[in-house]
Amino acid sequence: MKILFYTGKGGVGKSTMAAAAAWQLSRENRVLVVSLDPAHNLGDIFCVTLKNGAKQLAENLHLREVDVKKLSRDYLEREVTVLTDTYKYLQVLNLDRYFSILKYSPGIEEYALLTSIEETIRKEKGFDYIIFDTPPTGLTLRFLALPQVTIAWIDRLMQIRRQILEKRYTIQKIRGPLPEGKKSPEIRLDYNEDEDGVIQRLKIMKNNYDTLNGILQGEDCGVVLVFNPDVLSLRESDRLIEGLNDLGLPLRLLINNKVSEENREMASRVEEEFKKMAGGIPLQRVALSEALYCGTEQKLYAIPEDLLSNLQWKEKQDV
Amino acid sequence: MTTTVIIIIGFLIYVGLYFTYGKKIERDVIKASDEIQTPSHRLYDGIDYIPAHKAVLFGHHFASIAGAGPLVGPALAMCWGWLPGLLWVWFGNVLIGSVHDYLALMASVRYDGKSVQFVATDLISKRTGTAFYWIVFFLLILVVAAFANIIATIFVKTPEISGASIYMTIAAIILGLLIYRAKMNLPIATVIGIVLMIIAIWMSTFLPVPASYEVWMVVLFVYIIIAAAIPVNVLLQPRDYLNSFLLYFGIAIGFLAAIVTFRGFEAPAVTVFSPILLGGKPTPFWPAIPLVIACGSLSGFHSLVASGTSSKQLTKETDGLFVGYGAMFTEGFLSTLIICAIGGFGYTVIKDAHAAQAAAAAAAAVPPLALTLDNWGDLYTKTTTALNLSAPNMIIECFAKMVAASFLAFIPTKLVKIIAGLWISAFALTTLDTTNRIARYCLVEMLAPLKNTAEAAYGILTNRWTASLIPAAIGIYLAWSKQFTILWPSFSAANQLIAAIALMTGAAFVAKKMKSKFTVMAVAPAWVLWVTVTFAIIWFMSVVMPGAIAKAPGQGWTVQIIMGIMLLLNVLFIVDFVKMRKKGDEA
Amino acid sequence: MGTSLFDHIGRLFAHIGTAHRENVIALTSVELNELENIFALLLLGSFVGFPAPPTFLSVELLPFMEREMAVLHQRAGDASDMLAEMVGTLGID
Repeated sequence: MKILFYTGKGGVGKSTMAAAAAWQLSRENRVLVVSLDPAHNLGDIFCVTLKNGAKQLAENLHLREVDVKKLSRDYLEREVTVLTDTYKYLQVLNLDRYFSILKYSPGIEEYALLTSIEETIRKEKGFDYIIFDTPPTGLTLRFLALPQVTIAWIDRLMQIRRQILEKRYTIQKIRGPLPEGKKSPEIRLDYNEDEDGVIQRLKIMKNNYDTLNGILQGEDCGVVLVFNPDVLSLRESDRLIEGLNDLGLPLRLLINNKVSEENREMASRVEEEFKKMAGGIPLQRVALSEALYCGTEQKLYAIPEDLLSNLQWKEKQDV
Repeated sequence: MTTTVIIIIGFLIYVGLYFTYGKKIERDVIKASDEIQTPSHRLYDGIDYIPAHKAVLFGHHFASIAGAGPLVGPALAMCWGWLPGLLWVWFGNVLIGSVHDYLALMASVRYDGKSVQFVATDLISKRTGTAFYWIVFFLLILVVAAFANIIATIFVKTPEISGASIYMTIAAIILGLLIYRAKMNLPIATVIGIVLMIIAIWMSTFLPVPASYEVWMVVLFVYIIIAAAIPVNVLLQPRDYLNSFLLYFGIAIGFLAAIVTFRGFEAPAVTVFSPILLGGKPTPFWPAIPLVIACGSLSGFHSLVASGTSSKQLTKETDGLFVGYGAMFTEGFLSTLIICAIGGFGYTVIKDAHAAQAAAAAAAAVPPLALTLDNWGDLYTKTTTALNLSAPNMIIECFAKMVAASFLAFIPTKLVKIIAGLWISAFALTTLDTTNRIARYCLVEMLAPLKNTAEAAYGILTNRWTASLIPAAIGIYLAWSKQFTILWPSFSAANQLIAAIALMTGAAFVAKKMKSKFTVMAVAPAWVLWVTVTFAIIWFMSVVMPGAIAKAPGQGWTVQIIMGIMLLLNVLFIVDFVKMRKKGDEA
Repeated sequence: MGTSLFDHIGRLFAHIGTAHRENVIALTSVELNELENIFALLLLGSFVGFPAPPTFLSVELLPFMEREMAVLHQRAGDASDMLAEMVGTLGID
């Protein structure tokens, strides 16, 4: 199963490219296309309404839309409920207000996105291709980086936690067993790693993220960068390419979209820059110059360029 | 007058006054009551505020304050004869020292377990609270100076002791591994630790480590820096643990020997009011006695120890007397023991040393000083220094002689000397370690105002290595001068200054918060102490220091400046205190 | 009379034993509290603007961290009064 992320600045036509690729692929493969972009163009592009965020367009083509805001809200509500229950006996006033600040925390949206991606990859085993249409660059970079950042933090926290447990154990050992029946004012603390909720939780999370990281950096994953023949695109894509490099995420294809007679020269110049930034990555031009919407889906199906051949990479690319 | 009688009288005085004077303070001044919930219950949090049995607190308190201090001071004070020092150890302890400890503890208890520093800030002034950081910082530097000097002096005279210290350090590290890494059962580990310590002592008899004073200075410097940088359970905690067993053993044989020897005191009871002692100058008993005998009678550190953790763990208010007042007595008892040892055997030791020196060089290069029982006051200090028998060595020799004169004579004298020497040096070495850690902390607190004004300087000075080096370097620099009779009283002065401020704080607490008819029992000793310490510092700076500066200008001026700063802080304190009292009277 | 004397001595030794054990772990206990404090600070720092782990980490672990929150709370109050506590725990002289 191959996983593709279509990335790029807003408005370059990545949703369209993702949709077109999905359509072309679905002739011979089972394809799932998922939109993570809050702008949600997929429904418009294919001119369908999605029920509960899902629609089967054809036998081999399925559509999904992820409502990131709702995911974040749901996640927060769940956690706040758990927290409120656990801490209701602590003397913390206005607990709800205290925890509702979480809404504004950096990271919740990324986390929600990542969780949904991870779930999708894990659960949808019946497809040959899963194509993700990503949100604008900043958010994308952040959620792609999330697994590694999280793993780094988890490692450190586990280290400190283990020190804590070890010291607790030492103290217990030296204090000796509690005298029988005596009601002691001291609290006996958990020191056993298997019983410590914190470490267990950390281990599970680390496992999930390690797995996810493995997938994202692996051979079956690819990032497609869509851009337009203008300088603005160049700047933004620069960021993205560097980010992907840092994270070790495989960039497989560059698409120069909306190339026409008028901007052909600009297109060439821009492509020169790209070759410098990302040498060795195949680059493709597409001439589609309009945004597609309901009613024009024929244009989608009629895109002449072959969007597929570069998407069927083999392991040789990784060498 | 024999050692036995003195021990018994001392015991009776301490116990008797505990139940009369002590109980009166508890009842009428502090008005301790079991009805009032202590912070350990009221603020119980399972972390710091946990009620503990009074024996445990007593043990902790005793272990924190017992060390080399109570032994050294009385040895110096012998120049006044054995009686004056003894009276200070008895009555200074009961009427001032223990009161100081107890008031610090109880004021803290009534203040939700906050430290005496906090109480001072609240009752007197913010400046006073901050002064604690400053005075403690300089005090710690002087501790390093005085204790490094003591250790090196012992090591130079008896290289077996240096060997024993080194091997015991190794034993402590092994014990630490057993307890904290291997998680061995504690009683078993303890037995192994004690066996290792015995092996260390045995090894030192044939593997001494001789070196010169200067070499030890460098070694100690390096030791301080390293020891204060490693985790506490590697060396500090296990050595602390082993030390307590040394202490028990030392006290046991010392006590038994003193009781059973029935030895008459050789030294005169009283000599002159101002014998030659500190810095080669005539030293008047008042006001200088607190500069000579500190721990054992009165020590400022105790107020911090009492109001640090003990107050947060006191189960009921009436436990306070046992923990605060009672623990101090054990220190006093230690000092009594040493006075007995030196009083009973000191003259013999001196005469023996004379003879040994004369025998070693047929034509004695330095004619022996004619120390007789008549000119004891003037010549005690000179003679003992010339014979390489300064206070720490004197203690070891006399202690060994005392044990040898009792039924415990079967223990080889060499071993007793090593054990006594190890007792002093092991505690002193642990102290050097802890002082550096706390000095680092004080330095950072002291420099806090610089954070916004001189960022670069702040950054450099509070870097953990710099902050560790500064007190260690100054301390060792001072110790290099070998001027024990300058270093020890400087340390004592700083210590007593903290005690004076703490006791005044305790008195302020009693005066302000407890409407008691017997406030005088707290206020009177506070003023007596404060006046004495202030006069002592002024006397020291004006009479003794000039001589020291002449002998070693670098170190002399350093000490003088430190004393000056402390005197200034003292003046600021008393100004704030008086202002506070005036306001209280008007209100 | 005899038994109560033995009782006394037995209890005395028990107390001495406890006192020793407490001394041996006194510093370790302080270290433990500080580590728990640090752990809590790391996780909750985001609430007060520290660079912190992704928030959801904190949120997921919080239900298990009752004690750490208590330590954090207590330490925050005590942080300015640590001199005596340090001297008391380390023990000078």
